[in-house]
Amino acid sequence: MNTPALSVKNLSVWFETESGRIPVVDRVGFSINAGDATGLVGESGCGKTMTAMAILGLLPSTGVSVRADAIEINGRDIYNLNARQRRAVLGRDIAMIFQQPATALDPVFTMGQQIGAVYKRHFGGSQQHVRQTMLDALRSVGFNHAEDIAAAYPHQLSGGMRQLAMIAMATVCKPAVIIADEPTTALDSSSRALILQKLQHLQTRHQTAILYISHDLAVVRQSCHDVMVMYCGRIMETTDCQSLFSHARHPYSAGLLSCIPRISATRPPPISSIPGQVPAPTDLPAGCHFAPRCTRAETRCRQAVPELDDQNGRGAACFRPL
Amino acid sequence: MMRDTWQRLRSDPYGMGGLIVVTIFAVVAVCVWTGLLGQGWSEVSGNRYEGVSATHLFGTNLLGQDILNRTLFGTATAFEVGLMVTVCSTLLGTLLGGLAGWYSHGWLDEIILWAKGVLDSIPFYLFAAAVAFALQGNPWAMHLAMIITFWTTTARIIRGEVIRIKEREFIEAARAIGLPGLKTVFRHVLPNTVHILLVQGTIVFVAAINTEVILSFLGLGIQDGVSWGLMLAESSQEVLAGHFGNFIAAGASLFLLLMGFNLLADALQDALDMRRLPG
Amino acid sequence: MNGPFLTRRLLYGVPLMLGVTFISFLLMVYFGPDKTYELLGKNPTAQQITEVRHALGYDRPFLLRYGDYVRQLVTLDLGLSDSTGEPVSAILVRTLPVSLALVVPGFIIGNLLGLALGLLAAWHRGQWLDKLVMSASVVGMSISFLVIIIGLQVLLCTPYGLNLFPVRGWQVHDPGSYLYYVTVPTLALVLVTLGYNTRFYRAIMADEIERDHIRALRAFGAGPAELLFKHVLKNSLIPVLTRFMFSVPFVLISGSLLLESYFGIPGVGLVTFNAITSGDQPILKAVIGLTGVLFVVALTVNDILYSIVDPRVAKS
Repeated sequence: MNTPALSVKNLSVWFETESGRIPVVDRVGFSINAGDATGLVGESGCGKTMTAMAILGLLPSTGVSVRADAIEINGRDIYNLNARQRRAVLGRDIAMIFQQPATALDPVFTMGQQIGAVYKRHFGGSQQHVRQTMLDALRSVGFNHAEDIAAAYPHQLSGGMRQLAMIAMATVCKPAVIIADEPTTALDSSSRALILQKLQHLQTRHQTAILYISHDLAVVRQSCHDVMVMYCGRIMETTDCQSLFSHARHPYSAGLLSCIPRISATRPPPISSIPGQVPAPTDLPAGCHFAPRCTRAETRCRQAVPELDDQNGRGAACFRPL
Repeated sequence: MMRDTWQRLRSDPYGMGGLIVVTIFAVVAVCVWTGLLGQGWSEVSGNRYEGVSATHLFGTNLLGQDILNRTLFGTATAFEVGLMVTVCSTLLGTLLGGLAGWYSHGWLDEIILWAKGVLDSIPFYLFAAAVAFALQGNPWAMHLAMIITFWTTTARIIRGEVIRIKEREFIEAARAIGLPGLKTVFRHVLPNTVHILLVQGTIVFVAAINTEVILSFLGLGIQDGVSWGLMLAESSQEVLAGHFGNFIAAGASLFLLLMGFNLLADALQDALDMRRLPG
Repeated sequence: MNGPFLTRRLLYGVPLMLGVTFISFLLMVYFGPDKTYELLGKNPTAQQITEVRHALGYDRPFLLRYGDYVRQLVTLDLGLSDSTGEPVSAILVRTLPVSLALVVPGFIIGNLLGLALGLLAAWHRGQWLDKLVMSASVVGMSISFLVIIIGLQVLLCTPYGLNLFPVRGWQVHDPGSYLYYVTVPTLALVLVTLGYNTRFYRAIMADEIERDHIRALRAFGAGPAELLFKHVLKNSLIPVLTRFMFSVPFVLISGSLLLESYFGIPGVGLVTFNAITSGDQPILKAVIGLTGVLFVVALTVNDILYSIVDPRVAKS
């Protein structure tokens, strides 16, 4: 078996507060092969972005603690790196695309300066070489007038163009792994399709492994082969997209799916929602965190934590799967 | 909200320390006003430059006056200047800021902003000199100069708050049912800004006490009575001859009171959760 | 940068300048002391009074007198000092370099040091270093300028302390003597501004460090030096620049007024101090009018610098 591009083993994150530890990510593990895309879905606040920040090692050193057995890129561990070694990896081997390109780009530097700086930081080289690489990165995401984009400040670009430029920035070093955190949430629907298409294109062309973080199942269905469903910091179900949509096993996954409005010729079914509310991280129920909202829950669901019955990368953390 | 604030303030040791220091000085000031303390500040009760003794705890000055009494009386002066300037400039700033905010981008707003811009453009000590010059030795010239210039920051903050609050629903509703505009400002908007005035007030208080010292040294300050500024001005000659009584007594009192107010202002801002950029 | 933007900024300064000159005119000239009786002997006749008032221009209409004052400021033809009879403009030209030499080093050091401490505190936000720096700055803010000056003088200039520097005076003729006379006033200026500067810069920098693009830059492997000195600093240049420009006239005037009168240094501040004590109106009205105008000019320059520093301002 070949080495996965990104492999995360047993990752947990807690907030350290005066009243004790609050778990926000609970023993998460997965791997993505080169050229593959995996989705991490869940409602906002379920720990998706925390997972990403923990993989990158960008959580603050005070108030938060992170534990993992290993986080590996192409078999090389990046969990136990010191600050300097980590900086050498970030942007070069693993890069991140942010939800809000409007605020994630520095407003007082041109796109060319910002993209060039990423490449120069990791590979150096002459000014001309850096500029050429930067322009190539802009062209590879589809900008025909790369020089104009390079000379523009972020505020001069539209939301979609900014996100494309951000993708160019993430790919300028041709990293093995890209984490895309809600890459299309802040965009209109036409830009959204374009962004997803460009990401897929890069995924196949550079054999990049992409982790899509999204609350939007449609995005995941369009872009990913595999998918993980997260709830209150735990992976509830992990499977391939096809199976999730045709036959979700975890009641929570099924609930999420039923929330998607469908367009159909016949009478539209009513849009359903999951009863109850997402519990606060400070006030998590014992046992399965989803049990209080689950129609199938029984006594043991409220007492013991169901583990993920992982078989060949599929499984559900449920005592009574569908 | 006030109870929450008080709870948070109480759990802040620095803020409580500041509050205690300020309270002690305020009690001294009240005692001076009611005639319990510091009444002998102008009596010549000893020889010139006496050292520390049981009768003169802080020694005496050039004229043989008791420095402790003068320091105590100076506390009252500091509070008199601080309170007067704070109250008047806060009222003025609230009034003008409220008007400017309510009629934002109208002609009245433009005029108030212009006046604020002009006053902010004249270096303060020169403005104080000019006011003193125009009033030709009036003992209130210093107070007036401070009030005229210190309202601008309060007005800027209140104007911003009024503009913000004015957009809210309940004010819209008041307008819709025909409550007259200006009355609405004072009935609904200003009570929502009390906490800002409280913090801004402590900041103005500090500025007033600080400014009195400099103006008194420049000969533009307190004319009747004694203040820490006047004592420091006196001490500037004395320290060269080795007489530190005035300097230490006035300098230390000034430092303690300012420190108390600064800590209190910081703690209030934290407790009211309204950290903003200083100056 | 575009022309209309510049013109608009300059036009914006005009009402401010009119206001500043108007207020100084009102206070210093119109309500200022009446010199009629000083110039006349005892028991003047009504005729004499009218003549003197006419000679002094007191009988001219209000607006014409204001116009005269503005013309004086614009042409720098500021009349003669009451106490020395020297032209006011000559006095200012002679003393201004001294004040600049006195105040500029302290002003720059105070800001740079405040910036450095503010950055340090903001970077270690919430940790002991931050708390230490912030506590120290509250202490610094609580010490009066006058106390700092007297204290430093005692500590550094008298036999009661180290006795290293002169008690007062300004006999500057070479770099060595400049350093000898400028050190203590500079230290005083740095100490009195440091607390305020540090707090201000920390607040600005702490906000900048929290911003999204700083997190994004970290995700792309940018180190602390690059984050702080390239991105945080450049993004915070506008508030920093504003503070810098705003404080120039204040530090120049207020700083020199106190330092020069205390240390007996013959700059604009000492001239102004003497004018305040002796009621020398021609000097006072010139200094107030000119600094007001200078301040408005600084504000306008500041606004124009904005558009150079921040691409977003230039566009809107």
